[in-house]
Amino acid sequence: MKTTESLQGQALGLVLCHVCQQLNQSKVGHCRRCGQALRQRDHGSIQKSWALLITAAILLVPANIYPITTIVKQGKIIQDTILSGILHLVQSDMLPIAIIVFVASILVPWLKIIGLVIYLSAISFNIPVSKRKLMVGFHIIEWIGRWSMLDLFVISLTVALVNMGQLLDAKPAPAATAFALVVLLTQLAAKVLDTRLLWDRLEKQDDAN
Amino acid sequence: MVLCRSCDLAIRKRALPSNVRAICPRCHSVLYDSPYCSINGMLALCVTALMFYLPANLFPVLEIHFFGSIRTTTVFQGALAVMDQGYWIVGIAVLVAAVLAPGVLILSIFTQILIVKFGLKTHPGRALLKHLLRHQGLLSELTMLEIYVISFLVSAFQLSDFSDIFFGIGTFCFVMLFVTTLFLQREYNLDHMWSFLDENH
Repeated sequence: MKTTESLQGQALGLVLCHVCQQLNQSKVGHCRRCGQALRQRDHGSIQKSWALLITAAILLVPANIYPITTIVKQGKIIQDTILSGILHLVQSDMLPIAIIVFVASILVPWLKIIGLVIYLSAISFNIPVSKRKLMVGFHIIEWIGRWSMLDLFVISLTVALVNMGQLLDAKPAPAATAFALVVLLTQLAAKVLDTRLLWDRLEKQDDAN
Repeated sequence: MVLCRSCDLAIRKRALPSNVRAICPRCHSVLYDSPYCSINGMLALCVTALMFYLPANLFPVLEIHFFGSIRTTTVFQGALAVMDQGYWIVGIAVLVAAVLAPGVLILSIFTQILIVKFGLKTHPGRALLKHLLRHQGLLSELTMLEIYVISFLVSAFQLSDFSDIFFGIGTFCFVMLFVTTLFLQREYNLDHMWSFLDENH
């Protein structure tokens, strides 16, 4: 079902409550059902989203270059970064596990940050990219982003189980905190953004989806 | 009339057959699906999930045998172990995503069901329901049981390299908690829950 003219709620004097999805008149200040303050557009959300995203991108560097786990094996200290941990998994014939960890800890965070940069740039600098594709990508990012938590859960289980002193002992290392913050900040960056802004800005110039 | 929450397009709302979702014609975001959820079905799932919640968190989810020494851990101890090492952000993330948020989520839905069944006429009931529904989205996002289940499988594989791995009653209860919560979240429909506040004023 293709609408002949694409009318936005803004033009009709209507606004959707983002908490309870109730349709409201634009002139009322608060949602008549849940009482949430209503906003036709949240223009400040682009800046908030950029700020969170840039912070996350900076933290991605220590998350990848510092070790994420420290293992003491018979007195020897072995430190693993995210990447070297995955390589160890490949070497010890655990390819499926290596792929899962690779997707969750490297592919997803990088794609998420690159994807959000493209999305926010398209809004901020009016870059003519297919809006529909951007939106689909955005929903994928929103959904898949939380899976990056996997590695942190694995670390917490490993640290709790492997504590045999000098014989064998696993501990988290500094990249763990940086990585946790990357996940948190990128999720927030996607969450605070008012996606309707994308469709307003480009609407003025061309309607090529 | 509905507005797309992602692109603000105005669309005429139509009745949908069951198990069909309406998609925005312009940006392809999900608009709405048939606003229905079985209150009694959710109650059953809620009670089941609550029964599994305590054993899932009290009994160890993973046990390893390594040269005669036995180590076990619950989800909670896993969070504490990283916090003990000073990584409290990681610890809090684990605690919230795998222990606190699922528990609060299930209790919240349970309370919502009780209000819908018995307390919809009373003012405190309606106020509490509104409050709970407003936070439902966030709670649902923070709940990461599915990721936790995958991660203890990943850990088990990794640790099996040098030790013997055993799953216990806690593992079973945690997986059951995940399965019932998954079905509960599938059955749950936020639009439908909000609509209880529209009716019978």
